[in-house]
Amino acid sequence: MEKIGIFYSIDAVKTATVAQEIIEALGKDNVEIVSVEQAWKEDFEKYNNIIIGVSTWFDGELPTYWDELIPELSDANLKNKRIAIFGLGDQLNYPENFADGVGILAEKLTGSGAKLTGFTSPEGYKFEYSKALKGNQFQGLIIDVENQNNQTKKRIKDWVKTLEFK
Amino acid sequence: MKKYDIKTTDKETLKKWYHLMSLGRAIDDKAPSYLLQSLGWSFHAPYAGHDAIQLAVGQTFKQGEDHLFPYYRDLLTALSAGMTAEEIILNGISKATDPTSGGRHMSNHFAKKELNIHNVSSATATQALHAAGLARGLVSYKKPGVVFCSFGEASTSEGYVYEAINGASTERLPVIFIIQDNGYGISVPKHEQTANRRVADNFIGFKNLKIFYCNGKDVFDSMNAVAAAREYSATTGNPSIVQANCVRIGSHSNSDKQTLYRDENELAYVKAADPLDKFRRMLIRYKRLTEEEVKQIEEEVKIELKAANRKALAAPDPTPESIFDFVLPDAYQPQKYVDGIHHLTGEKITLVTAINQTLKAEFRHNPDTFLWGQDVANKEKGGVFNVTKGLQQEFGSLRVFNAPIAEDYIVGTANGMSRLDPKIRIVIEGAEFADYFWPAVEQYVETTHEYWRNNGQFVPNITLRLASGGYIGGGLYHSQTIEGALATLPGARIVYPSFADDAAGLLRTSMRSEGFTLFLEPKAQYNSEPASTVVPEDFEVPFGKARIRRPGTDLSIITYGNTTHLSLSVAEQIFRETGESIEVIDLRSLIPLDKETLFESVKKTGKVLVVHEDKVFGGFGGEIAAIIASELFQYLDAPVKRVGSTFTPVGFHKNLEQAILPNENRIYDAAKDLLNY
Repeated sequence: MEKIGIFYSIDAVKTATVAQEIIEALGKDNVEIVSVEQAWKEDFEKYNNIIIGVSTWFDGELPTYWDELIPELSDANLKNKRIAIFGLGDQLNYPENFADGVGILAEKLTGSGAKLTGFTSPEGYKFEYSKALKGNQFQGLIIDVENQNNQTKKRIKDWVKTLEFK
Repeated sequence: MKKYDIKTTDKETLKKWYHLMSLGRAIDDKAPSYLLQSLGWSFHAPYAGHDAIQLAVGQTFKQGEDHLFPYYRDLLTALSAGMTAEEIILNGISKATDPTSGGRHMSNHFAKKELNIHNVSSATATQALHAAGLARGLVSYKKPGVVFCSFGEASTSEGYVYEAINGASTERLPVIFIIQDNGYGISVPKHEQTANRRVADNFIGFKNLKIFYCNGKDVFDSMNAVAAAREYSATTGNPSIVQANCVRIGSHSNSDKQTLYRDENELAYVKAADPLDKFRRMLIRYKRLTEEEVKQIEEEVKIELKAANRKALAAPDPTPESIFDFVLPDAYQPQKYVDGIHHLTGEKITLVTAINQTLKAEFRHNPDTFLWGQDVANKEKGGVFNVTKGLQQEFGSLRVFNAPIAEDYIVGTANGMSRLDPKIRIVIEGAEFADYFWPAVEQYVETTHEYWRNNGQFVPNITLRLASGGYIGGGLYHSQTIEGALATLPGARIVYPSFADDAAGLLRTSMRSEGFTLFLEPKAQYNSEPASTVVPEDFEVPFGKARIRRPGTDLSIITYGNTTHLSLSVAEQIFRETGESIEVIDLRSLIPLDKETLFESVKKTGKVLVVHEDKVFGGFGGEIAAIIASELFQYLDAPVKRVGSTFTPVGFHKNLEQAILPNENRIYDAAKDLLNY
């Protein structure tokens, strides 16, 4: 398997914690961390296998460090890239826009030609609306450390097995 | 339509935006220092976190065509729309040259009439009604442009915001409601205000209304959303909402301490979303400006702010002797009937006919007159008392039309529409009965404040008609007289005719005058024989001129409205019984008050009875009695007495109504007491 580039904000404590668990599950040697605050188009184009970590801010927005990258990513050539997204959400306090960040990024990345992998079932989550949901699947792994943290490890373990990387 | 983004927006535009955002933030950050130095700006609502949407509103606002109603957090909106840093500071430190109000209105309320940036209340989002009214004016006069109206998301809890959006939807008015959503109404979180997280969703069902959502912290998203909303409203004539999600980085205002209810994590979270920092990062990261170019703008801003500050500090302060300027504008002065008296003889007409005919005559006389209210125009019907019957048929539905059952909307839109052009004259039926006017009192207060608050730059030209008073078996909600309560508010004239001719004359004067006039109609007299008079077709009655309806020498009865007729009857009875001569003065105008006529009468008779239908306790008669006691004590041969209603609501059963409202017996007894004193 080719190296996986994992993009997230290392200052985002909860996202970074989940990212570390994913890295461990995949094997540290298989993964390279890229800080999203410093990432640019070339950094994405460098990898064929990409994992993206994103939380959702406020009432269903991307964190600003991801939002600032969107114009750049719109021009990136992500054809044939396999991208898996994991996102953090709080289904109890934000049921109307649960993990929307995952859905927003999924739309942008597929618009640039990426092929997403690692879809999951919404079973076991309770929410009103989520942009992460497409059809009957989440477009990535959704972690709710606020309300279901006891399931985090298992969800990560199960998820990494499903990733179809080159 | 042009699409804005970081990669293609031209460099000069990006520089301009960064300059405005940096300048706005520099002023916003500096504002508290004025208070620390006791220089002013004692109310400051920092806008940091709303930067992008405010920039976008100001940049999309089309000078010379559009109108803007900002709210008290809209510093950058005003700056972006064309106000200067100096003007912003002049307002902040309340100088005489402050373009908003010359230091009269609270700081952080930014307005400039020349730019159509309107002066608004501190009562949050009351300007939504004005915006709808102004847009109605644009539509009526077929003018291009849209009206921007900005407020925070918590304001959507206010009923009048609903009224404004509902009205704009119904009438198809080009208003863009900008909801700046920072998640808090002072300390109250959004979920305690409304169930929808995106408050604009509360208005999804409104027909003709289009809602645009944007990240109010992102310059490009905000620019695109506001531009799209303007395009929609300008081309379709329909209203729109821009729901802009912002953050509030600071406290609500300098009177609020957000650390009492927001923890460090939350404050760090919102700070991380600072729109100015984001825009700066993007400019550099996308290589649109170099670090040096950005720093150069920041240096220019420092110099500009310093110069503006120096100029503003040197500006004059408002003077104490100016406080009486612009309470009320000069009224129309009748030329032919200088004292509002005529001697025409002939056929009498009823009071309701006199009002109806005068309305029609003034509508023919002035094409810039408009009338609306509840139930005022539907085929043959013209209000519950048919006062406005036939007006819509003759003058069309653009000038005469029904309003929704929303009293605040009726008054607020009149205020707003009259801002369009000083030639406009508006007559509104504030409510079907005066008793139902109370929901509109907020807008009544607002309208009384306008002229003074904006330092004489704008005056609402409105005649507010209300069918008032009892004696019709109407009970608690069809019998009220409300002049006593409303007379406490400076900024409105109050007239209350008793006879058909005075009603016609005062209405004509009201409709030809600048300013706000409350025109109270004694509905019990609409079709009464005693109130019917001959009315010259061009009759005019000046404000502040009482009319001696019966001359006398032994006692002065000062009265108005329904009780004028009761007082005249008593005066006649006593004259027949004893030959004692009572002078009955019909005030006609309460504000302004004709003290000259009153004083002459009191000096002559030495005895005074004040009679009105309103409650004795707290009624307007208390003011008259106090003036006479204070200024004419040496002429009095007896205490000033008053007759009016009991301090109760008006009961429905005739026994109750008769016990409560003043009647001839009570007036007779009081008059006899005084005559025998």
